[in-house]
Amino acid sequence: MIATINSHAPLREILPATHGRARVSSIGARSFLLEAPGEFDLAAQRRIWALSQAVRGWRDIAEIVPGMTNLLTIFQEAPQDPDAVVARLLEAWDNARSIDLDGKTIEIPVHYGGEHAADLPALCDLARLSDREIVRIHHEATYRVFALGSAPGFGYLHGLDPRIYMPRKTVPSLKMAKGCVTIGGMQTGVAMLTGPNGWNSIGFAELQMFDPTSPKPAMMAPGDTVRFVPARIEL
Amino acid sequence: MSAIDFSDPATIAFLTEALTAAGASGLEISWPGGRLRIVIATGNEAGVDVSVTPRPAPTAQPLVVVKAPMAGHFYPGSPSRQAATDRLPSVLAADILGFLRVGPLLLPLCAGRAGILTKQLAEPDALVGFGDPLFEIEPQS
Amino acid sequence: MIEIVETGPFNTVQDLGRPGYRDIGVSGSGAMDPLAVRIGNILVGNDEGAAGIEVQTFPFSLRFDRRTVFAVTGADGDPILDRLELLPWCAYTAEAGQVLELKHPPTLARAYVSIGGGLDVPSVMGSRSTSLRGSFGGNAGRPLVKGDRIALGDCANFAPVPANGLAVIEPAVALRDVFPDLVDGALPVRALPGGEHALFPNDGDAFWSQTWKISSRSDRTGYRLSGEPIKPTASVEMRSHGIVPGVIQVPPGGEPIVQMSDANTAGGYPKIAGVIECDLWRLGQARIGSRLRFVRSTHAEARAVEQAVARYVEDVRTTSEMVKRALKAMA
Repeated sequence: MIATINSHAPLREILPATHGRARVSSIGARSFLLEAPGEFDLAAQRRIWALSQAVRGWRDIAEIVPGMTNLLTIFQEAPQDPDAVVARLLEAWDNARSIDLDGKTIEIPVHYGGEHAADLPALCDLARLSDREIVRIHHEATYRVFALGSAPGFGYLHGLDPRIYMPRKTVPSLKMAKGCVTIGGMQTGVAMLTGPNGWNSIGFAELQMFDPTSPKPAMMAPGDTVRFVPARIEL
Repeated sequence: MSAIDFSDPATIAFLTEALTAAGASGLEISWPGGRLRIVIATGNEAGVDVSVTPRPAPTAQPLVVVKAPMAGHFYPGSPSRQAATDRLPSVLAADILGFLRVGPLLLPLCAGRAGILTKQLAEPDALVGFGDPLFEIEPQS
Repeated sequence: MIEIVETGPFNTVQDLGRPGYRDIGVSGSGAMDPLAVRIGNILVGNDEGAAGIEVQTFPFSLRFDRRTVFAVTGADGDPILDRLELLPWCAYTAEAGQVLELKHPPTLARAYVSIGGGLDVPSVMGSRSTSLRGSFGGNAGRPLVKGDRIALGDCANFAPVPANGLAVIEPAVALRDVFPDLVDGALPVRALPGGEHALFPNDGDAFWSQTWKISSRSDRTGYRLSGEPIKPTASVEMRSHGIVPGVIQVPPGGEPIVQMSDANTAGGYPKIAGVIECDLWRLGQARIGSRLRFVRSTHAEARAVEQAVARYVEDVRTTSEMVKRALKAMA
């Protein structure tokens, strides 16, 4: 297996180095990736949400995949004029007004600490905070689902308190359990699959957030608000 | 595969027509019981010469002809594989002798009977019609 | 019903995939050689997207428990039905109780078994393909094992194939004008420069000019390539963004990864290039250990190849219907 599995792509800001102007690049002949300029923040993501809504209605679109301040557009066939596609995307970006998605609020009961919180001691050392403080900071924050991806139903959550930032591991845990509540850089999330994972586990959630047989398989959607509720604290 | 009586005028007429259609100059078929020779002359006038042994050998079996199952282009061997140039004259019932190509499709032409492949009756890439004879096999039991 | 008599690991039920759910993190999955699946299904009279079996570890054999039409497409090598050698890319009728056996193909990687009516496993999110990562779809979300029994769909418009079979000129031959042959033993794979191409020195020369080898750490998720590592002039990591099969990412080690059918839905490594979609089936037939070279392509070329493939598939569909009708009329 390719080891990128579950090692969710990081948030660290390096590219795009485009100032003021969005950037469009190709993946193969049918896909185009538009990357928003500027900061990784809610304002940029709100415009990506608006862009997604506009592009979704295009007749020649097969599929769109919103990412973190970017949007992948997959066309039904290789376009006759790729420059025209790029121009259309940039124009749609320029016209995209910030919208706020009318998301629902999801409360995720968490068992903080315990056998699945393998990385909590290391986070205490790094943050120079007590485990109790880290748990409090984690569950008192309100998070926003920016996008889904990487694993079925996995939500990229924005809103982590910088005091409990913890970089991804350079060597991933080989078999992290599905349900582990994790921190990866400036993001937090809940592991959706058991497998290799580069994020740091501080607890465990029983809540099933993906059901492939349901008409709406993923519980989370972009724009949703997520709160972690301590069901048990075992420190 | 049914036995064919090459002394039957209907068969001779059919073969003559097929040869003319395929642009062949003629054919000669020998079997234990006799010999058929068709020569397509210019002006499409065919000369036919049939000689039948009055009393065929009792052990001889009639020849088997592999016919075109529909109209198409004839390919001995296969367009997508190496042409079977050095094909052994001895064939098994399941052996594929060639294909009939219809557009991108290929209809395999099987020997149908074990025996000796005595003749190929159409030119490679020739357009053949339904029922046109393509191969001749002398059955061996 | 069919029963799996013998199988290696990682043989799965696949169709043309599960598009449309990447935005909730669900991979497209589907056959690594979708063209073989489409042609196989047309030959046996199914919809192009009916589910069949992708065989990538051999030997493999299955038993039919009813009379049915089937075809083996994709890989080279002759399938065997009860000791009788058959042609690949050819539809035949199997009788109840007959056993179909696939041996290791001489050069290619994956064989596809299409069966009249298709495999009747539940459709999950619009597809019957197996999602190995998600453990759903296909046959209980897992690879096939010996003894598995899989139901066949109804064959409403069952058109019997000729006794000697109904074959097709395979794509590699019929489309040889648009799919160039190996060059010095290396598969030419056409690609377009990706988003971070400019970060690689000399216009990506080290990437485009060398011959890469498909490493043993390759599977349906992706191919890891071995060769002289390539490094960008600056170390970058992207914000997480959607990716598709064919994307060629360069992780810090410098050996590229080409995402394949079970591609992750998101990534962040620099993208040096992306394989054009219509060349992915050839990559899907390339074996571990084989060599390839990337050839710089254009959108115009990709479009021309796409259209040639579409014409070929349409030609196979209309001709096979016509031939079946004609043979029925003449029978």
